[in-house]
Amino acid sequence: MRNELAKFSVSPPCVTALGVVAPPPIQVESDTFSGPLALLFEFVRDRRVNLLDIPLAPVCESYFLYLLSSDRSNLDESAAALVALAYLIERKAWAMLPAPEEEPIEVEEGAALGEGCIGDYQFAIAALTEFEAERLKLFFRPEGAFPSIPPEIINHEIDHLAAAFAAILGRAEPSPFETVHRARRSLASMMKSVLDAISHEYRSLEQIIPAPFTREDAVYWFLAILELIRLGSARLRLDDGNVHFARAAA
Amino acid sequence: MNLADELEAVLFAADAPASLEILAAALNYSEGQIAQGLEVLEARLEAKGGLQLVQIGGGYQLSTKPEYADSVARFLKPRPQRLSRSQLEVLAIVAYKQPVTLAEVDTIRGVQSDYGLRLLVERQLIEEVGRKMTPGRPLLYGTTDRFLHQFKLNSLEQLPPLTEDGKADLGKFNVL
Repeated sequence: MRNELAKFSVSPPCVTALGVVAPPPIQVESDTFSGPLALLFEFVRDRRVNLLDIPLAPVCESYFLYLLSSDRSNLDESAAALVALAYLIERKAWAMLPAPEEEPIEVEEGAALGEGCIGDYQFAIAALTEFEAERLKLFFRPEGAFPSIPPEIINHEIDHLAAAFAAILGRAEPSPFETVHRARRSLASMMKSVLDAISHEYRSLEQIIPAPFTREDAVYWFLAILELIRLGSARLRLDDGNVHFARAAA
Repeated sequence: MNLADELEAVLFAADAPASLEILAAALNYSEGQIAQGLEVLEARLEAKGGLQLVQIGGGYQLSTKPEYADSVARFLKPRPQRLSRSQLEVLAIVAYKQPVTLAEVDTIRGVQSDYGLRLLVERQLIEEVGRKMTPGRPLLYGTTDRFLHQFKLNSLEQLPPLTEDGKADLGKFNVL
């Protein structure tokens, strides 16, 4: 039965005007298409027939029969037929895959709430304005009213910290004039330097900062070590009125 | 030491709304006991004093009473930060239709809203809440707890409902 649907006839190779070898004249017969393989190829490529309506198995069988009976020298023609068949099989395989389900159109819950234009929101805007005015009459304790200062800093007198800072500033050398073109340094990089410089042994700022250093260096070192204390990476203690710093235990 | 006094002390020190759950965990009482204590405290503050208990932003917080607003304002000299009309429009759309995309806000307003949206994000009144599963996966925006606080709301359910003709039922709104 299938062989009746696809037949071939052996004939000399057909070369198109563009110099391309056409597939052999394998005849395809079905309810929706009747004609040679090359024509079917064109119709499928141009979406003029529904490939799902055309059985390809008889076409393949005819192709095998063609191969068995044709001259071995017609390799170009055989290859052309194979390419055409492969194309049809691939297209049909894709066509047979289940079509992806169309995504349901989402009906948003707020759709009924007048999404048409801003005019629908006029009363809401008026209400929000009223609420905002009411709220402005209330005063709350501001957020962040209690900053998280480490108890170490609170417990030590600020004067001692100021004295330590003044001491290193007193020893600092003036900044060189060519600092205009110097690359900006960040507190983060300074904190890393300080962290490398301090150890678990408590030492004074003067012992920690490598000499010689400028006033700017002193400020950076002092700020960096304060930040490290705030983050819990460094600790300080008071020894005989002098502040000493050390790396915090891991 | 009674619970109402304890709650008053905690809420006086708190710089953000405290929920029943947090208060219960902090003071080692049940949420029911905390709710009762808050009722007692609210009545007491209402009867006298310059403070009141406010249910706002999903929790409880102490605030000054509105009748003393002028005095407090003269002392604190707060910088007025009222929202502009266009910002209010964007905010209202986001509040009622959240999660919503910028394109949807643009469609409703009929004008571009990216600037207003960005300002509201900077003021932490709205925030990105995800992406819409449509081509391009646009960002979705929703309101924040700060929005509730700034507009004296305890939850989004307290937004005045929009009826079919677009009118807001302001009468149903109550803070406490």
